[in-house]
Amino acid sequence: MTHVSLKNLSKIYPGTQTPALDNLSLEIPTGELTALLGPSGCGKTTTMKMIAGLLEPSSGDITFDGKSVLDEKPEDRGAVMVFQNYLLFPYMSVAENIGFGLKMRKADPNQIKKRVGEMLDMVKLPDLGNRKPSELSGGQQQRVALARALIIQPDVLLLDEPLSNLDAHLRLEMRDLIRSLQQEMKITTIFVTHDQEEAVVLADKIALILDGKMKQYDTPQAFYDAPIDEATARFFGSQNFIHGSAKDGIFESSLGKISIPKNIKAGQGALTFRPENVQIQQDGSKENTFTASVDNIIYLGTQTRLKLKLSDVEIDAIVNPREAQGLSIGEQINICLPAEILWKVG
Amino acid sequence: MSDRKKIALLLLPAMLVIVVLFFGGLTIGLMRSFNYMPIIGLTEPNFQAYISIFSDIEFYHSFLLTFHIAFTSTVISSILAIGAALLLRRSFAGKFIVNFLFQLNLTIPHLVGAIGMLYLFSQSGSFARLAAEWQLIARPSDFPALVFDPYAIGIIMQYVWKEVPFIGVIVLANMQAIGEDYESVARSLGASKWQSFRHVLMPMIFPGVLSASIIVFAFTFGAYEIPALLGANYPAALPVLAYQKYTNVDLAARPEAMAMAVIIAILCAILIWIYVRYCRTRIRGHV
Repeated sequence: MTHVSLKNLSKIYPGTQTPALDNLSLEIPTGELTALLGPSGCGKTTTMKMIAGLLEPSSGDITFDGKSVLDEKPEDRGAVMVFQNYLLFPYMSVAENIGFGLKMRKADPNQIKKRVGEMLDMVKLPDLGNRKPSELSGGQQQRVALARALIIQPDVLLLDEPLSNLDAHLRLEMRDLIRSLQQEMKITTIFVTHDQEEAVVLADKIALILDGKMKQYDTPQAFYDAPIDEATARFFGSQNFIHGSAKDGIFESSLGKISIPKNIKAGQGALTFRPENVQIQQDGSKENTFTASVDNIIYLGTQTRLKLKLSDVEIDAIVNPREAQGLSIGEQINICLPAEILWKVG
Repeated sequence: MSDRKKIALLLLPAMLVIVVLFFGGLTIGLMRSFNYMPIIGLTEPNFQAYISIFSDIEFYHSFLLTFHIAFTSTVISSILAIGAALLLRRSFAGKFIVNFLFQLNLTIPHLVGAIGMLYLFSQSGSFARLAAEWQLIARPSDFPALVFDPYAIGIIMQYVWKEVPFIGVIVLANMQAIGEDYESVARSLGASKWQSFRHVLMPMIFPGVLSASIIVFAFTFGAYEIPALLGANYPAALPVLAYQKYTNVDLAARPEAMAMAVIIAILCAILIWIYVRYCRTRIRGHV
């Protein structure tokens, strides 16, 4: 149970000018599962490696429970990192891999054997102790890597893209396993991912990092409902932006006046809303209803994506396939943007 | 023409060289080691040459000396090469130049190196003269015998000088292919630097080190020119002894020379067999 603080953490790699990580500050509460989210090359893995002690920061500090750990060697920090490609030691059996950390601590061999057995049960691989890593599937290797990290009961668990190498059904299984183990053991866990879906389903809180800088640190829900800026909203899949200015619950734009929640700050910016919150209306009687022409219809199986044009504004809507039935390209339809789905960025 | 025939035809020149020169030479050597040399009237094959060398104490002395040279050179070269590779895989200013200098020896022939060793380390060599000049020793001849010495120090030094970059290049390529992430995992799991080297990196580079070491051992065990140039008269290294027997005025000594060559070849074959067996076991373990 450890509270992790990152204070003005920066990293500039030798021979480069642009920081891989720029002045990142983050408070990760004890026992929480936090995601560092961002596109490839934004500094997520660099941050993890610095927390684990595998990279030295150029400036800033990392504290565990208020105490700086910068002078501590990786093996003494109590932060264990599970890499994206698992990196199980290929010449060791599964059991030897899991027991590695305890062996390095010179634990009693009988104790190691017992604990390895417990961990194999915990990750639901009870009979695979004698196999070599190459004889396991990707999902099984991921479980072994997790067991190898958890056996030493770390203070902080660092997971690098834990689900990205897995098939869709294994991702669900692994997500549940990570979540339940983390809840059970109450380990402060940080994981990095480029996949916002992965971050949303797994994390208590998400820190979005773009271009080496932290954009927003909030609950998953907040990233959908109240993104901090256009880039954040775009990262979370929103394509809908109506530019204009807000004042006293009204947003003036090229589409005319749009009613918005009163608590939205006045000023210039862009209204944004989730594509799945757009409502198709039979008539135009409701507030914030606009006429749009259908530019494209993309059937996605469980939902249908509509590309719509409202005068000079292009928006995306995701609707139930039944609602989209009978629609054709070029058709004029009424869509409603209820005030409660709208949020101003910028 | 079928693909199979085409492949056979393309392989023919290479196969001819191997079959005629290598296996041909081996067969003739083997026949002669069994005292079968119709050209000088020996037409009854027997074990006389083997009996003769196995009952000669000089053979055992030569064998032990040769083993000592090959084993010591290989072990020292391997240790130094691993150390050098560990340093060279890091990033540092001037790495390119250091890397170039490290590999420079590879291009210099053994013979040139041996002559250099002679000029520098013999009791009449540069270092002996310098030591006498600086009054560290009374006369150049007081310089410790590093060349033509009974412990083959000069020979070992020459081999180490030449083989460290050879093994080092192989090990370095191996380390670069493996990367540093496995060691990072080990460190994060609680291994110290030494433990992550001992338990993680070393087992992973071991096949590469072993293959390079076996090549070096086989070469140093069977090489003639360096022990001939830098070695003591007695005991001579096995290839030198074999050559002496071969060039003996008495043609009857040739089967003994051939028997020695066969013994060297068998030892090398055994080493390769051990290596292949080891690798197969490991590959099976990885599949």
